[in-house]
Amino acid sequence: MSTGPAPDAAPAVGPRRGRHTARWTAVASLVVMAALIALLATRPPAAATEVYTPLLGQQAPPVTATTLSGGRFHLAAYRGRWVVLNFFASWCPPCQDEEPDLVTFAYQHRAPGDAALIGVVYDDTTAAARAFERSSGATWPTVIDPGGQIALRYGVRGPPETFLISPSGTVVAHLDSAVTAADLDQQIAAARAAGL
Amino acid sequence: MNATLGHTGVLLGLVASIVGAAVIATGLVRKRPATVRAGQVYAALILLGAVVATVAMQRALITHDFSIAFVAENNSRSTPLLYTITGMWSALSGSILLWGLVLSGYITAMVWRFRRQAGDPLVGWATLVTYAVSAFFFALMAGPADPFQTVSGHVPANGLGPNVLLQDNPLVAFHPPLLYLGLVGFTVPFAFAIASLVTGRIGEGWQVATRRWTLLAWGFLTVGVLLGAWWSYQVLGWGGFWGWDPVENASVLPWLCATAYLHSVMVQERRGLLRVWNLSLVISTFSLTILGTFLTRSGVITSVHAFSDSDIGGLLLGFFGVVVVTGVGLIAWRGDRLRSPGGIDSPLSREGAFLLNNLLFVLLAVIVLLGTVFPLLYEALEHQQVTVGAPYFDALTLPIGLTLLVLMAIGPALPWRKATTGTLADRLLVPAGVGVLVAVVSVIAGVRGLGAVLAFCLGGFAAASNVRQLVLAARGAHRHGIGAWRGLVGRANGGMVVHIGVVVIAVALAAATSLGHRGEVTLRPGTTTMIEGQQITFQKLTTVSSPVRTATEALVLVNGHGPYRPAVSQYGANTEPVGTPAIDSNVWHDVYLTVDSLPASSGGPVGIGVTVQPLVSWLWVGGGILVLGSLLAAVPGRRRRPTDPVSAPLPALADGNGRGRRRHDRVGPAVGPAVGPPPEPPPVPVAVDGAPEGSADERVPAGSS
Amino acid sequence: MSPRGGRKAGSGPVWVVLAVVLALALALAASRWSGTPTVAQRAAALDAVLKCPSCDGISVADSSASTAAAVRQVVLIRVREGQSDQQIEQYLVGRYGPSILLRPPTTGITAVVWVVPLVAAAGGLGGLALFFWRRRRPPTTVVTPEDRALVDQAMAENGPVAAPVAAGPGP
Repeated sequence: MSTGPAPDAAPAVGPRRGRHTARWTAVASLVVMAALIALLATRPPAAATEVYTPLLGQQAPPVTATTLSGGRFHLAAYRGRWVVLNFFASWCPPCQDEEPDLVTFAYQHRAPGDAALIGVVYDDTTAAARAFERSSGATWPTVIDPGGQIALRYGVRGPPETFLISPSGTVVAHLDSAVTAADLDQQIAAARAAGL
Repeated sequence: MNATLGHTGVLLGLVASIVGAAVIATGLVRKRPATVRAGQVYAALILLGAVVATVAMQRALITHDFSIAFVAENNSRSTPLLYTITGMWSALSGSILLWGLVLSGYITAMVWRFRRQAGDPLVGWATLVTYAVSAFFFALMAGPADPFQTVSGHVPANGLGPNVLLQDNPLVAFHPPLLYLGLVGFTVPFAFAIASLVTGRIGEGWQVATRRWTLLAWGFLTVGVLLGAWWSYQVLGWGGFWGWDPVENASVLPWLCATAYLHSVMVQERRGLLRVWNLSLVISTFSLTILGTFLTRSGVITSVHAFSDSDIGGLLLGFFGVVVVTGVGLIAWRGDRLRSPGGIDSPLSREGAFLLNNLLFVLLAVIVLLGTVFPLLYEALEHQQVTVGAPYFDALTLPIGLTLLVLMAIGPALPWRKATTGTLADRLLVPAGVGVLVAVVSVIAGVRGLGAVLAFCLGGFAAASNVRQLVLAARGAHRHGIGAWRGLVGRANGGMVVHIGVVVIAVALAAATSLGHRGEVTLRPGTTTMIEGQQITFQKLTTVSSPVRTATEALVLVNGHGPYRPAVSQYGANTEPVGTPAIDSNVWHDVYLTVDSLPASSGGPVGIGVTVQPLVSWLWVGGGILVLGSLLAAVPGRRRRPTDPVSAPLPALADGNGRGRRRHDRVGPAVGPAVGPPPEPPPVPVAVDGAPEGSADERVPAGSS
Repeated sequence: MSPRGGRKAGSGPVWVVLAVVLALALALAASRWSGTPTVAQRAAALDAVLKCPSCDGISVADSSASTAAAVRQVVLIRVREGQSDQQIEQYLVGRYGPSILLRPPTTGITAVVWVVPLVAAAGGLGGLALFFWRRRRPPTTVVTPEDRALVDQAMAENGPVAAPVAAGPGP
């Protein structure tokens, strides 16, 4: 264009009245954006292990169901022991990962008898679940959940999810990824220390 | 070999971007146009680098070269060829490669388009900005998101194959590339906006020059989003054509700002107003594309669309910060001095309508951004999760959508500068009549719900108003002897067609969401029942298996034709079984079939979900009209420069091939008498009542705006 | 369409007629719509605002996941029992947490997400009104002697230019 005087040296018409609308709007936007960036920068990627559930501290919802082997199961019968309630499915890779650890945990606590492991089939066929348990050498009771009602009662969103229930029947912990035997023991120890 | 080739391409792109930027920067600082012009050639080198890297990746995919980690994770020997090729953008680092390829293409096109003004500092700054953006993305590919990283350890015999939901539908070959062509395309207008602010040369029609680029990018983005909606509709798991999923929202945020810009830039062309506002819109559009890239790739948001989280989240967020600080900072520094001195004569004018349009679109963007980001804010404060889902967005966007329908009806009938209610009443009488007629007909036809009837009524109003504009333009063109078809092309007329497409989509949305009904039936094999007005026959169950999918399908006849195959499918061995629907689609409604429950024993009853949604196919038809309209809008007008006043005469019809005006938006060093700001049009015949009915439209039939 | 200038005396009454007809039609549509909802309608309405627990952001109505089917079943049972919408929502929130609701509650800190758009809309409209009110007066740019001197200097440097430079809207 023309090589005349630089535009910002030309008499400006806007700010003659002293208003700097653009500047203040821009500064305000920058502040909001800075807050947004700070928020986004400090968010961890969405994958946590121990997560909040509204059931924490509440009485564990009752479970009355049929086991894979055809027997009846009542959760109430397990009062007095720590109960690890594990929702799983045969098609779920983290469930497959945690299975050996669950076997270890069950074996370690069989003798003292202080903690029991219960499995709940989540959105899977009975045949597949049975095959899964058999192939991993699982010996603990596993119940089927027709219609997903037990999962609903516990607010399960997807396998694997594990609930720790105290001897008095209170839900004390909720883990929503693959667990290890050490994780479970840690949770029990922490809950004991807290007097639950 | 592929890895080496790929790394070479990426490094070439990176080095060319950095060196090109340095060369141009030197030329600008030292005020040497020759040096600035020399920076052009690096665009070709960046493109070369991107092409080499892409060729290397495609070669690796097609030859199943599992020594490259990306190929091992996203391809397998049994993957069909189409999904092998599209595997390039099915995962994170490959998608960055696609981004780089599209970006380098746009940069080359931009440098080519402005090659005659390459020594101009404004073009130089714009090229510098694009090189900087390109350097960032190639740096991502060179480091954290390396697509050509080799497998550590021994090379696997077979790969994992792409994500199962990305192997099922050929739309995967169209939706992501079109989306990227849209999102990446906003880089060029952004570069020119920054250049305008830096050089202070805000009002010479540079915005006009880049308006076409914005329209092109906007068009691609629109098509990309529509195809994504269509794909979502066909594949369950993403629940319908629009779910207000965070990643969907991230792609529509730039679209909202770009739409606002496409309207308000017309005010700038005609009246020279809103210059700084338009720059802000362009900067916002580009910033939102970077924010969207961050949200999709950082793992901050869980979504079926999201790529796996990785380290590049932090880098993308940092880049977003740089972009925002640069753009907003420049406006803070320079904006007030560059504001235009003119004013708007009356709120009841086309300028006023465009301003209201901008307000509504920006408000929509605020709502969508807030709703998307709020769950993160809540989780940071309360350490619990909250969901902001479809009911929230629907509730807030409905009134805005209805208001926009009204604006679409009134806006085209409003003259520039000032209108009286009398003029408006005369022009809108027939369209209003059409709208009321539609309302009455729909109530008589049994449509329930205030929102639906209102949407139909306002849709009819808007459609009739836009059709009226087209008819007037065609008649005017015919009267001027240049062919009635001229009344259908050009920016304004194409815009009318786009509006009609939007109206069709709005009507379809209203019908599908508020008039749909759902039922469930349980049927034994070979039985028939009537539900929701449809006759459903369940024939039998079959099991199908293919390398990627094992499914139990229910063969269902709808009103005697079919069979449709809703199924419960499992993709791969280790995934949750998902329902895959079948759709019986015709002009009036879609019957959406799902398998809700499988029988416990064979021969037992199957639960089938039947959803009847009216007018869903109108969504896709409306989308097609929209795209047609944007193509029509891109046809250059034969009349004049957009900066000429409304009353400027048409070029003489005998000036040759009539295409001479194609260069009407060329800007840069004037080669003749100064192309200064046009004198104000004489106010007498046109001011008070707005343009005389029909005459202004007729005088500039092609592309009148 | 109509000759410009003269106000058509005829179009006014037509608008009134149109407005009345429209009002009637809308009233009819609204009245037909509100009646006591059936069990199925109530369940469907609830299904639309409850999130499928194992999906990302889809409602229970739109999903065919097993968790969604389970929630739909519970909703249907409780609607049949006569529980209120609030009670059913509270029960599910008690299982899954507040994120089961697709519509963020209007009380508490989530009210922000409802209030901010309203404030933004009001602010935007107010700003627009202010903009029009301010700009309504014709631009009172007074040409000062400094302006004239600048123009004279520029013209002396560059020679005569066809168009005016200082005032008036530029492109």
